[in-house]
Amino acid sequence: MTFRQARWDEPLLFERPSSDDPTTPAPEVPGIPERLRRRSPPAWPELTELEVVRHFTRLSQMNFGIDTSSYPLGSCTMKYNPKVSEVLARRRAATELHPYQPEETLQGSLEIFWRLERALAKVTGLPEVSLQAAAGAHGEYSALLMVRAYFRDRGELARRTEVILPDTAHGTNPASAAMAGFVLREIPSKEGCVDPAALRAAVSDRTAAFMLTNPNTAGLFEPDIQEIAELVHGVGGMLYYDGANLNAILGVTSPGRMGFDVAHLNLHKTFATPHGGGGPGAGALAAGEALAPYLPVPRVVKRGRQFTLDYDRPKSIGKIKTAYGNFGLDLRAYAFILAHGEEGLRHIAHRSVLNANYLGKRLGRFLPRPFRPLVKHEFLLSGAPLRDRGVRTLDLAKRLLDEGVHAPTIYFPSLVEEALMIEFPETETKHDLDEFERAFERAVTDSAEHLRAAPRSLAVARVDEVQAARNPVLSWKDLRAAAAKLETAASDAARP
Amino acid sequence: MPRWIASGSDEEAALLRELGIPNTDALFADVPRRLRVGRMGLGPGHTEAEVVAAVDKILDRNRPLHRFASFLGGPVAVRYVPAAVDAILSRSEFYTSYTPYQPEASQGMLQALFEFQSLWVELTGMDLANASLYDGATAIGEAALFCRRLHDGDRFLIPESLPWEQKSVLTNYLAGTNGRVEEIPFDRRTGRLDLAWLREAVGRPGVFGALVDLPNGFGVLDEGLPSVKELLGPIPLAVSADPLALSVLEPPGAWGADVVVGEGQSFGTPPSAGGPLLGLFACRREHERMAPGRIVGLTRDAEGRRAFTLTLQTREQHIRRSRATSNICTNQSLLAVAFAAYAALVGPRGLAELARSLAEKARTLATALGAVDGLEAPKFDAPYLSEFTVGLRRGTVAEFLDRLRRKRVLGGVPLGDPRPGAARPGEWYLTSPHELTTDREIQKYARAARASLPASGGGTSR
Repeated sequence: MTFRQARWDEPLLFERPSSDDPTTPAPEVPGIPERLRRRSPPAWPELTELEVVRHFTRLSQMNFGIDTSSYPLGSCTMKYNPKVSEVLARRRAATELHPYQPEETLQGSLEIFWRLERALAKVTGLPEVSLQAAAGAHGEYSALLMVRAYFRDRGELARRTEVILPDTAHGTNPASAAMAGFVLREIPSKEGCVDPAALRAAVSDRTAAFMLTNPNTAGLFEPDIQEIAELVHGVGGMLYYDGANLNAILGVTSPGRMGFDVAHLNLHKTFATPHGGGGPGAGALAAGEALAPYLPVPRVVKRGRQFTLDYDRPKSIGKIKTAYGNFGLDLRAYAFILAHGEEGLRHIAHRSVLNANYLGKRLGRFLPRPFRPLVKHEFLLSGAPLRDRGVRTLDLAKRLLDEGVHAPTIYFPSLVEEALMIEFPETETKHDLDEFERAFERAVTDSAEHLRAAPRSLAVARVDEVQAARNPVLSWKDLRAAAAKLETAASDAARP
Repeated sequence: MPRWIASGSDEEAALLRELGIPNTDALFADVPRRLRVGRMGLGPGHTEAEVVAAVDKILDRNRPLHRFASFLGGPVAVRYVPAAVDAILSRSEFYTSYTPYQPEASQGMLQALFEFQSLWVELTGMDLANASLYDGATAIGEAALFCRRLHDGDRFLIPESLPWEQKSVLTNYLAGTNGRVEEIPFDRRTGRLDLAWLREAVGRPGVFGALVDLPNGFGVLDEGLPSVKELLGPIPLAVSADPLALSVLEPPGAWGADVVVGEGQSFGTPPSAGGPLLGLFACRREHERMAPGRIVGLTRDAEGRRAFTLTLQTREQHIRRSRATSNICTNQSLLAVAFAAYAALVGPRGLAELARSLAEKARTLATALGAVDGLEAPKFDAPYLSEFTVGLRRGTVAEFLDRLRRKRVLGGVPLGDPRPGAARPGEWYLTSPHELTTDREIQKYARAARASLPASGGGTSR
């Protein structure tokens, strides 16, 4: 496919001329003590609406989104974000609401929260759900605080200091566990999955929790999950479900059925709320009986026909963010579930797994696939053989961008050399998969020279990330300072 | 069900044929039978039209703010969002993209985030900002952890006046450390920080940081804040500040702040019942490698052109794992774009005009409520900008606000922890006019307040 991204030399907002008249005095704001009054206004220009709209529209033309391109980032589940959800989330009755307006006037929102929680309880097989977490990692952290509180109540916290993780875990898992004050024990995987022997050697009465993604980041369903649950529960530990990969098992199995005690879900993955170029997300927490009393307050409850926010949960860890949940996103997720229903959700799992296995088989012709071939929602390839030609997975990823498709997740998980992690959710058709295969073939068979020179069809060529980190320019202020330095240097050089 | 899932039996058959399997059940052979779920009990799917009808019917049970004379603010602002902001956010190249891991394919989002960072730097007077955190409360939590990376100790000082939910979130962010919070009392007359107490507290060892907020949880502009850093010396100073206030206030960077956080929702995002919100974070150059979250930097591409990329990533969870500065992965990028679009559309002068207009309305409101027997408005004898605390001389805030509601006035946000048994500062609430608040609404509020307070002399109706 021939593809050219827009290439605007779009200046920063700050670099545009201001239409302000500096002789007009600044507005007099009453009530500001002299000591706190700003001496000079913040330094960005006064612009017309058209200038601003054109600026951001041009920027948007230099950005891939699901609506422009297949976006096969493994573990990110970049599926189509239904337009109807955007319309609903913009209703006045959904936006013009303050979280602390009286509950009597917020019954619609509370009902959406409550219905979504009930639906997610059914999906996860865990009875209690809170929507307060802002994102997946935030949910992980909150769940680990619940685990802490649980062991504190049992008088075991001093001893339960360890969280165990497989070496395939998402980076947020160890980061969240460390933040929550636990010591980490990483266990090596075997053939891409948890090695029960390694887990058996690692668990002890010091184990607070074992964190697991299933299907895992290699795209594999953990075959020993029952034994894993027994091992962790056998020492009195908690089993944590990272829901990043839930898409593959919707309606097939569930965290509750697999023996997990607590789970986070990424509504922006499985339930199609748009990821917004990095966020917002929404991270639901689902808990079984042991941990449910520790969920953050408030909880949404139904009393008779009225919905209310219940703060009377003495064991709760308290609050983890402002207000309750990310309502705008929870509403979208609810609409998504309502549209699909039971059968639709199960169909999602079947189709996303079908896509992954089909494309995995097709692309396996070009690069080796580590581990067994039957995968769930995503699959891995190793770009290691590319090294013989003097190129790397990174070059292949950049070359794929020239085909008008986004690159897969690369260099993760680290146990696979030069990894590519590919996920084509259920919203991508066979045609999309076949197009990707052709693009992949063109890319992987292209000359080393072309691969290293990629991308060439985008707004910019290969970006120098090393320079960015070595000499950080992080704002307009830095850029101005750097420019001033250059000018000084130039005028010094011009001096005889 | 709408056509969101790729389907068509021919197509599916072709995929199955390639795999040599009769149906998709074969793809789940690795899921043990015992673990299969039968029915989840979710009911049937619906058409798009049915979904719209069902959701609208539920939303009808909400009563949006325009149905009331509304004076709600505090952690979440009610502010007009210019139509152009939503038009920009509706560019699906922005909203359907992921975190810009491939910079060449994501220059638009990266530049927008760089501009967002630059704006927060301008407002705070700090050296650098990150590309957002979840919200203002979690940003305070991250600021505390940041301070702890800079300085040894086990106590983090916070204002007693800090909103209860920010305190609760902060306590949770410190739960995995040996750090605990200690509250700096406020002066009962002015609502300002007790600086003498603070001086004494930092004299004892073990303080790893102190937080102040601007305006504070009572709406007060505390003119003592520029002296706090002097008291702290090498102890890091964290400031939580409102972006609109910073457009007219001396930047905290000029009075010694080491980290400035805030809630950015008021710039371009509707309140939406409390989320999504936008966490702001800025710090000093010498601490850039201690900062949490994504950061966008400017660099060059292979042809020497200006280009943007995520940078300083060795701080982050996907590289550093358990030694990362934060666990944050997803942030609030789209709201950061909204912030940038809003700041650009309104402009520095427009922000100052807005601050002036809100401050004037707040004064009119204070005069009107101050004349009501039984109310102290404002409660504190101190400067304020656009919101202030009201104290009740009789009755309870809960009953009073409920009576106001019946008269179609949403009077304010109660201060104090709603959890049973929690200590409350007093029968106080925070009230905030909006840019559309009219004199008529203010008079209506004052009338409703007179009619909603228990009669003087009589007992309170607890």
